[in-house]
Amino acid sequence: MRTDVIVVGAGPAGLAAAAALAEAGRQVRVIARGNGFTHWSPGAVDVLARAGGEPVDRPLDGISRLPERHPYRLLGDEVLRRAIDGFQRFVAAAGLAYEGSLDQSRRQVTALGTLRPTCLVPAPAARPLAGRVAVVGFAGFRDFSPTLCARGLRDAGHQTSVHTVELPTWKHERNFTAIDLARAIDDAGFRGRLADGLGRATRDAEVAVVPAVLGLATRHEAWADLERRTGTALIEAALVPPSIPGVRLYAVWLARLRELGVRVQLGFPVTGVEVADGAVTAVVSEGASRPIVTRCKEVVLATGGVAGRGIEARRDGSLVETVAGLPVRGFPERVDYLADRFLDDHPLGAAGVVVDAGLRPLDTAGEPALRGLRCVGGLLADHDPTAEGSREGVALATATRAAERLAAVPV
Amino acid sequence: MADLETQVVVVGGGATGTAVLRDLALRGIDAVLVERADLGTGTSGRWHGLLHSGGRYVVKDPVSATECIEENMALRRIAPHCIEDTGGLFVLLPENDQSYGDAFVEACAKTGVPCEELTPAQARKREPQLAPNLSRVFAVPDGTLDGWKLMGGFVADATVRGARVLLRQPVVGFERDGDQIRAVRVRDMVAGGERLIGCQWVLNAAGAWAGQIATLAGGKLRMAPGKGAMVVMVGRYVRGVVNDCRMPGDGDIIVPVHEVAILGTTDVETDDPDDISVDPRDVDFMIDSAAKMVPAIATGRVLRAFSGSRPLFKPEDAGGDSRDITRAFFVLDHSERDGPGNLLSIVGGKLTTCRQMAERTVDTLVRRMSLDTPCTTGEAPIPGAEHGLHRLADPLATVERQREYGELVCECELVTRARIEAAVDEGTTELDDLRRQLRLGFGPCQAAFCGWRAAAIVEDRRPGATEPLANLERFLEERWRGQQVTTWGDGAVQALLNHAIYRGIFDLQPERESAGAKQVADAMPERRDELRVTEAAAEGES
Repeated sequence: MRTDVIVVGAGPAGLAAAAALAEAGRQVRVIARGNGFTHWSPGAVDVLARAGGEPVDRPLDGISRLPERHPYRLLGDEVLRRAIDGFQRFVAAAGLAYEGSLDQSRRQVTALGTLRPTCLVPAPAARPLAGRVAVVGFAGFRDFSPTLCARGLRDAGHQTSVHTVELPTWKHERNFTAIDLARAIDDAGFRGRLADGLGRATRDAEVAVVPAVLGLATRHEAWADLERRTGTALIEAALVPPSIPGVRLYAVWLARLRELGVRVQLGFPVTGVEVADGAVTAVVSEGASRPIVTRCKEVVLATGGVAGRGIEARRDGSLVETVAGLPVRGFPERVDYLADRFLDDHPLGAAGVVVDAGLRPLDTAGEPALRGLRCVGGLLADHDPTAEGSREGVALATATRAAERLAAVPV
Repeated sequence: MADLETQVVVVGGGATGTAVLRDLALRGIDAVLVERADLGTGTSGRWHGLLHSGGRYVVKDPVSATECIEENMALRRIAPHCIEDTGGLFVLLPENDQSYGDAFVEACAKTGVPCEELTPAQARKREPQLAPNLSRVFAVPDGTLDGWKLMGGFVADATVRGARVLLRQPVVGFERDGDQIRAVRVRDMVAGGERLIGCQWVLNAAGAWAGQIATLAGGKLRMAPGKGAMVVMVGRYVRGVVNDCRMPGDGDIIVPVHEVAILGTTDVETDDPDDISVDPRDVDFMIDSAAKMVPAIATGRVLRAFSGSRPLFKPEDAGGDSRDITRAFFVLDHSERDGPGNLLSIVGGKLTTCRQMAERTVDTLVRRMSLDTPCTTGEAPIPGAEHGLHRLADPLATVERQREYGELVCECELVTRARIEAAVDEGTTELDDLRRQLRLGFGPCQAAFCGWRAAAIVEDRRPGATEPLANLERFLEERWRGQQVTTWGDGAVQALLNHAIYRGIFDLQPERESAGAKQVADAMPERRDELRVTEAAAEGES
């Protein structure tokens, strides 16, 4: 079977690039170690929450305050606009509505009762937080405390009440996870019984904040159904991983890739590439008993930064790009990796591969390092997805650019 | 007019101070213990957790070796639940001075430390991770000791007999009448204000800080704190303690404690016992040294590094460096040295010998008080001893046996909701104190998931008692100390993922943390420096 492009990595950047390339008629295969940041981040599309340490009200306004080599500045605003438009069309068609636009930052309620800045939020997180707010937890679910969430919202000036709803009888482990609970809520019978208790708790409220566990396999249907049954607007609060809204997004991306005939191989860490005449000719991945070599014309590397294992931080302060050994600027010593305080920005968070405007890797002299390969998402240097709140925006914009450039080349 | 009257004020809530308090209580002497922070926050919370057999000292410091083996046996009697009976090995590496092997065997016999030689093959059967090329191996009755559990047991045993413990109340002065101390002045860091404790005697068990306390009381005492750094590995690697069979030196031990292995140690003389920074080169050195005994450690994941200050005392006429100072202990009667007439200082020693240190101190005291009440601390078990020796799998067995025990809040250390709720109900609301009591957040994920769950439980049980996010941030920043020197590889992945949770998902911003840090600094002015950059972990057994 012919493979034009191999996308390495199955986080937002890899999935978006694979879909765009397949839509452009390329034969695409995704090979990845496992799931990426969809499962970790709270399902929103962060574009730019902070620049130069200051909050950003309109993502596009903050771009000029970013470092010169930041991916957004390399690519330009138009690529970001096309990327966000493309994402909106994709999720709308998939029945997984998102709200928001590049014109205004939005806030997403979290389990701590904080309001995290972001750009696009899934519909279940998008209801306005106004009037009397019922904060509702589910008994026995460890990753949401209505008391703590309500305390944060109250401190932010909201009028809150605290409720815990007993879960209907269900078969589950003693220490069940968000995934277990979301699956149970997919079941219409369970959901109906849950709606009774939830309805009683939210009776006197205009809006209710609940943990983001309202169904997994049914897009946003379980959420919409519970809103109907309780007669109250429901807001899903962002939780610690695994993220249910993120897994929903992953699921529709995967369905789209299947529809487009893209083969997705998870559980195959890519360990290297084969190169001839300075260009990549194949990708080498770990198989069960031997390395597997998959030939291709182009590679899109979407393996992530240090957090995604696209880059390994070594004991001596050096950084190693784990697939193609691309040049990555290291640190004099490992003590320079991290800031003095946990909540500060960490230099390691912005470490990555330096690229040109076509996302081709550059060596230390600024010359092309390897042909037939483009880098997208968290792997790129000069941006810190966590500190900037830019993870999905950079992923989508760079995936869009890489796909456009590759699609422009005749097959 | 004193706010509180007692016979004896004990200064210092470490292993020695709590052992002294219990000894006094068992002899029917009324006492109040004052501690500047929480129990076991000084050296007693920053050590490797080794219950010494004495083997480490048989050649170099035989007095210390005998004290260790006596106390090893005593603690097994009175506090078995604080001990994991891991056993220990001394391994003679090919590069070591080979004559040390015979010297070791001979010295063990002289000092009474049981020692059995194993063939290298037998040793590797017992410890499969050992290096393949060992010259000789000796088995000794080393174990591991949960210092916080032991201190908690000492305090429980003492307070049930009427002893009192004042936490977060540092000594700020002494009221004297001629050469006699009449009262101890403490500052209440939580409620504010000062408190005067009238007393007849003061026992200075402030360990590495004993010099500061004695000076404040008008005496003269110069300590020579020896800073020791340790490295915590994810996973145990070994079943029992593994020691490098050579003269005591840097990087000579691997201690499997709970779910981790601690590599020890360095020894650097320091003027400031509050200096707990760790040099990254020491981390590399200890990993490389331990890897000579257990090669897999070279490529393992490091969890963190921390350091503590040994309470070393150099008698005025002794020379040499920190490593040459005896690990034995001394009871100093200041009336015979430098006044005041009713102050005793207990200096030197080690955690394994804390009970014996207390016994000698209180023996001296009762003589001075013209009493003859005998010590019973070596025979009477402390509360909890009925559980018998601790086994690694005990916490898991308890969770599996008792459904009502509740849900797991900290999965790494198997800390359940019920245990946290009980501790909060008893008045502990600071997450970092819950950490020491329950081992919350000690594991490989470094509080990524349990930190905020615990903050929620505190808010649930005691609404409004704390500012939950500031409390959480203090806890997270405390867990962060010591990370810079030990973060690479998988540890770096974990650090950035945790950052993605607390900064990225929960949007906790560093501005808020500065307020949290300031609160800590205000609460503990003498330790403000700890909040500086290159700091190591405030950490005990992992």
